[in-house]
Amino acid sequence: MTAPLAIAGLSVAFRHNGEERRLLDDVALTLNRGEILGLVGESGSGKSLLCRTVMGLLPSAKLQVTAGSIRLDGEDILAGDRFADIRGRRIGMIFQNPTSHLDPVMRIGQQISEGLMRHKGLGAQAARAEATDLLAQVGFADPPRAFESFAHQFSGGMRQRAMIAIALACDPEILIADEPTTALDVTIQAQILRLLMDLRIERGLSMILITHDLGVVAQTCDRIAVMQGGRIVETGEKRALLAAPQHGYTRQLIASHPSVGAAGAHVAVDREGAPLIRVENLEVRFPVGGGFLRKGQALRAVKDVSLSVWAGETVGIVGESGSGKSTLARTILGLTPATSGDVLFEGASLAKDRGATLRRLRSDAAMVFQDPFNSLNPRMTIGATLAEVLKTQGETPPDRIAARIGELLDMVGLERSFAGRKPRSLSGGQCQRAGIARALAVNPRVIIADECVAALDVTIQAQIIDLFRALTATGKLTLIFIAHDLAIVRNLCERVVVMHHGEIVEDGPSTRIFARPERPYTAALIAAIPDIDPDRPLNGGTPTHIQQELAP
Amino acid sequence: MTAALAPRHRLLRRPMLLAGLGLLGAFVVLAVFAPLIAPYDPIWQDSAARLVPPSAAHPFGTDNFGRDVFSRVIWGARVDLQMAVIGVVFPFLIGTAIGTVAGFFGGWIDALFMRVIDVVLAFPFLVLMLSIITILGPGLGSFYIAMALVGWVSYARLIRAQILVLKTQDFAVAAASLGFSRGRIMFRHLLPNALAGSLVFVMSDTVLVLLNGAAISYLGLGVQPPVAEWGIMVAEGQGFITQAWWITLFPGLAIVTLAFGFSLTGDALADLFGVQE
Amino acid sequence: MRPPRTAQRRGAEGLHRYRFILFRPLQFLPVLLGISVITFFLVRLIPGDPARILLGTRATPTAIANIRAQYGLDEPYLVQYFFFLKNLGAGEMGRSTLFKIDVLRLIATRIEPTLALVLAGVVLALLIAVPSAALSARRQGGAADHAVRVLSTAGLGFPSFWLGAMLILLFSVKLDWLPVSGYGTNLGDKLVHLVLPGLTIALSLSAVLTRSLRAGMIAGLGSDIATAARARGMPENVVFWRHVVPNALVPTVNLLAVNIGWLIGGTVVVESVFAVPGLGQLMVRGIFSRDYMVVQGVALTFACATVLINFIADIVTVALDPRVEL
Repeated sequence: MTAPLAIAGLSVAFRHNGEERRLLDDVALTLNRGEILGLVGESGSGKSLLCRTVMGLLPSAKLQVTAGSIRLDGEDILAGDRFADIRGRRIGMIFQNPTSHLDPVMRIGQQISEGLMRHKGLGAQAARAEATDLLAQVGFADPPRAFESFAHQFSGGMRQRAMIAIALACDPEILIADEPTTALDVTIQAQILRLLMDLRIERGLSMILITHDLGVVAQTCDRIAVMQGGRIVETGEKRALLAAPQHGYTRQLIASHPSVGAAGAHVAVDREGAPLIRVENLEVRFPVGGGFLRKGQALRAVKDVSLSVWAGETVGIVGESGSGKSTLARTILGLTPATSGDVLFEGASLAKDRGATLRRLRSDAAMVFQDPFNSLNPRMTIGATLAEVLKTQGETPPDRIAARIGELLDMVGLERSFAGRKPRSLSGGQCQRAGIARALAVNPRVIIADECVAALDVTIQAQIIDLFRALTATGKLTLIFIAHDLAIVRNLCERVVVMHHGEIVEDGPSTRIFARPERPYTAALIAAIPDIDPDRPLNGGTPTHIQQELAP
Repeated sequence: MTAALAPRHRLLRRPMLLAGLGLLGAFVVLAVFAPLIAPYDPIWQDSAARLVPPSAAHPFGTDNFGRDVFSRVIWGARVDLQMAVIGVVFPFLIGTAIGTVAGFFGGWIDALFMRVIDVVLAFPFLVLMLSIITILGPGLGSFYIAMALVGWVSYARLIRAQILVLKTQDFAVAAASLGFSRGRIMFRHLLPNALAGSLVFVMSDTVLVLLNGAAISYLGLGVQPPVAEWGIMVAEGQGFITQAWWITLFPGLAIVTLAFGFSLTGDALADLFGVQE
Repeated sequence: MRPPRTAQRRGAEGLHRYRFILFRPLQFLPVLLGISVITFFLVRLIPGDPARILLGTRATPTAIANIRAQYGLDEPYLVQYFFFLKNLGAGEMGRSTLFKIDVLRLIATRIEPTLALVLAGVVLALLIAVPSAALSARRQGGAADHAVRVLSTAGLGFPSFWLGAMLILLFSVKLDWLPVSGYGTNLGDKLVHLVLPGLTIALSLSAVLTRSLRAGMIAGLGSDIATAARARGMPENVVFWRHVVPNALVPTVNLLAVNIGWLIGGTVVVESVFAVPGLGQLMVRGIFSRDYMVVQGVALTFACATVLINFIADIVTVALDPRVEL
């Protein structure tokens, strides 16, 4: 039996103004019937481009296939332009960002029927019936209603389910999933992965799953292909490859995976004295909706939260999107006004003496942001950005500023020549280092990092985590590290605070919480992390019986 | 590629910017050196040469008073260019200031300006201009005052919207978290980033101001005869359109060409800054 | 059983998004108040005795006494403004000194040509803009694209008074196909007279619309929405007309609404060029003959019309884009 999809010697080049750059270089890949093949690599490795090429959907006319073949059941689809018969009917595709890939002004059901009417020649009524059926299969509770809905009326996870229904409409043999869960919360990710695996069995699908997360691959795939710089550097059966990686880059990827490293040694913290930061019954509400003659409602982003952080601690605040963790961070720094409650910084009250407390916060606390490019003023060089902070803080004498900038760049591992560069000419990881240097320029006692590695590739992520570990090792710097990724927090922080719907559901030492979570939500969150060990399976994001018994 | 060559090289690789700036430069030259370039005095009437079609002596022909249309088009560049530039500068300055303050401080200041903007925008632009000119009386000065009173609105809206977006960007939040003063955040971090978009808008707005100024003169409420101005020239020529099309055609072409120069420059700048209009 | 139920639900779910039609007019109150303040001061700020300004220089003493009483001209501005509002409420906009009739009735007779002109302009502009933008965007970089880009960019700077004159020169003088100016008496005649002025407005407007549509379509063709549609096997024609165009139309309607102020202002000039007896021409005549009541009345009418048109644009946007809630 021939493999349903066989790619051989495939090269794709970018040609513009006489320049030629190879983006895919001599790629060979086989997808066997009924298997899930994990295609792993970091941004720019060419993994998405490879799948676009298979679909005949090269994103620009400047990209051309220069060599190679793609065989579908033995037939070369590159030879004749046969993509019109293949797309949707024989190969279906789902994408990373369902929000941007669904047509916002067309009903979900019509986007499914569209394919059914075209490929299967169904009439409108028959297509509607089949589309409704499909929506039920991918897990919509009220399929007729879902048929009539628009994408914006769904949550992210439901949008991805709709996207899957669209891709499955015409019974393709092959499904290509391009980072299908990257934009989703971890518990939703587990549900979608579970759905994909169930569908594979029900429909006998062969699947290519593109992802940057080796954990996702370990949990779902049969075989793994690793891509780097437009080449496939290693292919192999999942367990064999994870256990004994041959290529250096594969080893590096595995070593960088957050679920691998054990928690580092932590400095002892004195929790006897007064806490550095004390949050008391904090409540933050935002007005939402409403308008003229309409009563708006209040969104309770943070609900009655109390928390103490002692000097020298590294505290991870974890939670899914909308859990209020970022709002809490910004309120602690006085950037978002509290509705009620108080934040005390070394005993100074933000509620009672806002001006003075803010001044202390500004000289003792600093923040690091999620989007590395957006967090630096695009019109200022890194040097100017740092100099501005040093001048405002006023602790560095003017003639020492240049030298201090050099020291700061050394601390975050950037060459001193970066002082003259603007953010646009830096990579994401370099920008994030510059952002950390800016925070350090304050000479702060506390750094609050808000999802600061979420936008970075895993290997860069690991480097930034190492940098934070080095900075906190002396015990002089307190770190509040906000993340949705529990595995990273386990690696970096000695204490974890779990937030859910604006409330703190659990707070304790990392080692204890990850081993014995007390609350079902925490347990579910931990269980949903795709572990790189294939023998610690995903449980679909719902707490198991054992974990429920552990809960109080 | 050496460093010294780099800027010129970059400009050459942007033919649109080059063409736009070239056209604008040509009109500036015409305006500045009009007395040297124009073959005739723009208001001198040659009663022996009325309604003469384009010829070697009069490349654009003559009008009903025997004035040389070519010379009048060249002299017209002075008035129309000045009209377009001054007509944009004041609205730009006023609008940027108001938009920045409203967007940055929000609250009642913002609400107040937004209501005023709503009201001004409720009037068709030209109708409000004409109404103000009705009060002030016709003339170029009235045109400038009316422009300043009406034109700031679009700049204020644009800058305000930009500031509102920029205010929530991480680098602005970072600036606040680092204890920078409000003035520093506003002028050093927000405004420079907001201005790129409005510079592109300045170019397309200049086109609209040019058209408006010429239209108001065409209606007889702006620049007054016998000054050579393209709008008036079209109005004067229209009465003779059956006999002497050239009186109307050439000043109109001058407006179209100058406007094209501004539009090209604007498009090229939008490209350069990566701004969506 | 299923279809009727969902159809019913579709109606019920859709309707709440149109609730704003009921209460939005209340939001117009501050704007309308602002408009009335501006038009009020429009006449009061002209230097000289307001009674003489309103009535002209040859007014009789009794007429002057009457108008002083009617508008409270001897009172402070605030009181005068209330008189002004009271008169407006009674449908009283004063008398035209030039036409010797009530301003409101005068305006009523002039609305039709202007409205017809605006409609003709918008319809013709869309007929020009949608195909040219589609042609341009689908063959990006081709000869047609270059032509459309140059023409639409140049078209931004076409003065309507000159374009009108050139169209007269070509179609009326040289070809003798269409009338030079004026407005007909019966429907067919009116339509014939509308062609050139309508085209003048449409050409200027279509430049703006084409550019916006083209940009939207090009972005749409490269968007994730189009990629997803192609990935499920939709042919390029379907991708374009069913997915790209509807999404590109949404911002264009907003642009059209923003430009409607320009468009109405443009009718002032175009009506003067073609001697169309509409509101714009009335305003210009009012300015020249110092018939201030007429100027005030027309400005007020135009402003209210703009508010109304923006309201209509809001309704269209809600209909086109299910995400929009007003």
